[in-house]
Amino acid sequence: MAASISGVFSESLQNAILQCKVLIVGAGGIGCEILKNLVMTGFNDIEIIDLDTIDVSNLNRQFLFHKQHVGKSKAAVAKETALTFNPDVKIVHYHDSITSSDYGLSFFKKFTLVMNALDNRAARNHVNRMCLAADVPLIESGTAGYEGQVELIKKGLSQCYECTPKAAQKTFPGCTIRNTPSEPIHCIVWAKHLFNQLFGEDDPDQDVSPDTADPEAAGKQRVLFQKWDFNVFGVFNEILFFLPDTAAEGALQNESNDKGNVDRVSTRGWAENCDYDAEKLFTKLFHDDIKYLLSMDNLWKKRRPPTPLDWSYLPDGVAGCSKDTMESGLKDQQQWSIAKCGSVFKEAVANLSKALKTCQETSPGDHLVWDKDDQNAMDFVAACANIRAHIFGIPQKTRFDIKSMAGNIIPAIATTNAIIAGVVVLHAFRILEHNLKACRSVYLRLKMNHRNQLLVPEKFVNPPNPKCYVCAPTPQAVLAADTTKMTIKELDETVLKARLNMIAPDVMIDGKGIVVISSEEGETEGNNEKTLEQVGIRDGTVLKVDDFHQNYSLTVTVLQREQPSVKDESPDFLIVADDEDLKPKEDITISEKPSTSNGKVEKVEDDDDIDIVETEISPSTSEADVPKKRKTESPTNNTINKKRKVETNNQHDDDVCIIEDDREVEKVALSVLPAIEEKILTPRKYKSLPDDDCSIVYDGNEDQSTASSPKRSKQLAK
Amino acid sequence: MVDQRDDIIELTDAEAELYDRQIRLWGLESQKRLRSANILLAGLNGFIAEVAKNIILAGVKSVTFLDHRDLRIEDTCSQFLAPKTQLGKNRAEASLQKAQNLNPMVVVSADTEKIDDKPDSFFKNFDVVCVSECTITQIQRINAACRKYNVKFFVGDVWGSFGYTFADLGTHEFVEDVVQSKKMQVSEGGEPGGKGKFENIVTTVKRTIKFTPFDNILNAQKLPKESETYYLLRIMLNYREKYGTDPLPSERDNENLKNEVTAIIEKYNLCDSINNLVTGDLYAQISPVCAIVGGVMGQEIIKTVSQKEAPHNNLFLFNPDTMCGKILNLGKK
Ligand SMILES: [Zn+2]
Repeated sequence: MAASISGVFSESLQNAILQCKVLIVGAGGIGCEILKNLVMTGFNDIEIIDLDTIDVSNLNRQFLFHKQHVGKSKAAVAKETALTFNPDVKIVHYHDSITSSDYGLSFFKKFTLVMNALDNRAARNHVNRMCLAADVPLIESGTAGYEGQVELIKKGLSQCYECTPKAAQKTFPGCTIRNTPSEPIHCIVWAKHLFNQLFGEDDPDQDVSPDTADPEAAGKQRVLFQKWDFNVFGVFNEILFFLPDTAAEGALQNESNDKGNVDRVSTRGWAENCDYDAEKLFTKLFHDDIKYLLSMDNLWKKRRPPTPLDWSYLPDGVAGCSKDTMESGLKDQQQWSIAKCGSVFKEAVANLSKALKTCQETSPGDHLVWDKDDQNAMDFVAACANIRAHIFGIPQKTRFDIKSMAGNIIPAIATTNAIIAGVVVLHAFRILEHNLKACRSVYLRLKMNHRNQLLVPEKFVNPPNPKCYVCAPTPQAVLAADTTKMTIKELDETVLKARLNMIAPDVMIDGKGIVVISSEEGETEGNNEKTLEQVGIRDGTVLKVDDFHQNYSLTVTVLQREQPSVKDESPDFLIVADDEDLKPKEDITISEKPSTSNGKVEKVEDDDDIDIVETEISPSTSEADVPKKRKTESPTNNTINKKRKVETNNQHDDDVCIIEDDREVEKVALSVLPAIEEKILTPRKYKSLPDDDCSIVYDGNEDQSTASSPKRSKQLAK
Repeated sequence: MVDQRDDIIELTDAEAELYDRQIRLWGLESQKRLRSANILLAGLNGFIAEVAKNIILAGVKSVTFLDHRDLRIEDTCSQFLAPKTQLGKNRAEASLQKAQNLNPMVVVSADTEKIDDKPDSFFKNFDVVCVSECTITQIQRINAACRKYNVKFFVGDVWGSFGYTFADLGTHEFVEDVVQSKKMQVSEGGEPGGKGKFENIVTTVKRTIKFTPFDNILNAQKLPKESETYYLLRIMLNYREKYGTDPLPSERDNENLKNEVTAIIEKYNLCDSINNLVTGDLYAQISPVCAIVGGVMGQEIIKTVSQKEAPHNNLFLFNPDTMCGKILNLGKK
């Protein structure tokens, strides 16, 4: 071990390594690599936490795990294997979620430094806040494919994880999902919702039946949003977030139903009544419901109307598929005929309903949780998505591609993880040497930039954003919402917990001392269904929000903002750090961004800055051995640069499904929204956007390990 | 390089499951090429252990460890494939078990002969030869042998917290994706009132790069700015060439190394520009740096074998002071 051999390190670093205590949050791809580096280096006192268990698809990079470990705790096996490198090191492992209240401030304060090796934004936000509160240096890292990044987070010295807002969530209007899908992703979202309706947790916002309240058809209510949480790489977390929906009474259309007063039968109830008969389910979902949609004829004036399918006559040819493509490639990469989809559907429904029964026998009311690695769950979604795509004339996808999209897979590889974990541990050395200023963010690129750099350090540690709603001395935020519509429950669940990532917030109206939300059970439940206005929250009201677990206090000023109108796809509420951001800005955002790579903007710092968002996924090059300047799209107006999309390409079996698409923004370009969205989407706009140094990475990495993920406690019965 | 017929054999279900994530990144064709590649890794230090881990996980056909040296205490700084209990045993053999555990589908074997005793024709058994801990003379000889037999040649080392990799791939053909953004009109089935939307079209193009042998980079004259690590590389290689070994941790600040430093500073008129580098940690091999340089080397081997994406041409240098990793293209005639 390096630190036990004198002369390898300077004496002071050697001693610091031997004496410090460190925490690794996450035992996935990066976590395994960090642990190996620490043990070999001679760190003596290491703790590691991860709530996940080992899957076969982890083994190509999470090298501390082998086939015989599948199904076991990642944290436990990582420790076990690491001890074979050095049996003398003290490693404590936790098979648990880092967001659990067991790991409070005093837990974090034990450590000299903390290293994140996480795969989701919620857990990153949480550890960020805990380390700020405990004033412990945090090294944050992430990878996606060939790219990766490492940065230091230290209170008062550097940006925190939440100083630069991350990309906004991707939204799909509910009626697009339920009535008028036009892209494969719409069918995939629908199929996942259907899974939950039939076998999973019942969520009324995931209704899959025709939406009779579609404003386009009926012209009345507003749109239900169904949100994917996209990150800068266009990635969405597996957990869906929903904005409050005022209407969307998509009643289930069963035989006896004509609009109006129907006894609302849940999809689940209906399926149970027919004993999950595949043919009946199929006929309802892919014939009767489609017929009903056809009756909403306004929808089909400018669209290709859907074609209902008959269970007895499913087409068995594969459109656009030559014999060649049928025969080559992985089993999962073969295109299914609709007849094949039908038989996969039948088998999956049989197996899943059996699994549901089994799990309900032991604990009544329990349900399945969708898991991309569960054969039946994945088969079900792939088959349903393709059947629906066929009905609507949308190109079908292979099971392989649907898995990427439905499962939020960012392919991670061993080499990138190894390199990034190496940089993490070098940052740890600097921290131990009290040389925090040397911990500048480092980016790994697929190709070198125009300065020949493959591993690109920033010039300085990025200073904190003085207006950050997390790490500013007195964190403040503005909530713009319709106080006559938003309920207290929505404030709690959607704004504070889902959006601001709090765990157990308490909310008090400033100046009046009225507690409107309490984290103690039973104290404020009576307020749940009241609107903000009804409890006395109006335009200009100041709320004091506290999350004791995160040791986080936030002052929220409420601004009245009318709920967006029908078909307006802007969100129901906005959260910004600065109310200036709410004022309409026409060209401000444009002028703040240089339109060329060397545009002179205030605060431009050479060409070394790194752009977090504007990244080209796959570089285009001309001469292979000539450093090619990557072309960052020059925004000529504030919408163009957001409209990018890389689609999985079927012809070349390469590539990642990366979606970066915020077209929604464009549609409300004249409202107040663009300025805010711009800010959310393009952090650090105050710096220049060099055409070459961009890189980025962060979130949603499916498997950098899941040290926290609230809905994962129940795994689908295998 | 890779026999085309090997590529036709489909992956088994077990392979598809194990390699699922990386197939989503580099594609099925690349994966098929990887699994028909035979790799020689020579000099089983901490750096090569990292390279071994990366390519065994990736799923190459076979990896041969060649090393006549025994496991030393310095190796325990980063050589995680060889357990401490194997100190004094042959490094290639000591690394075998843990390497095999990483992926049972890869054939891993050990060869304890001296690399100098291998005839040139030995190297033609491999698609890729990757060596470490060699003197300049040895590097030149193996590089030439690989050129002769059209074998892809890599060399790299880590000294303390400094490291490099070099590649001579001869004439290398590969494919690369080119993304073009195109404005599309929304067709039928789309939202009414069709607004244009952007769609990126991915096309795959074939390219060729010519490399130069290691010889040609030894006396580089014109260097891009901020390339001080090149001089550090020369110092460490010169020391090894002269003394047949690297300075030990117990020999921090020894005179012999200082002499090599002075020689290079004088030769290139460097004044004090490399002082911080030469006084840094250059002894044994530090684990996180092995991970970085071994990660880069592993990815280069994967790229080369799969003939997907442009390999770095030709020198990668890691500066532990700035954490900058640079690619220099040296020795162009
Ligand atoms: Zn902050």
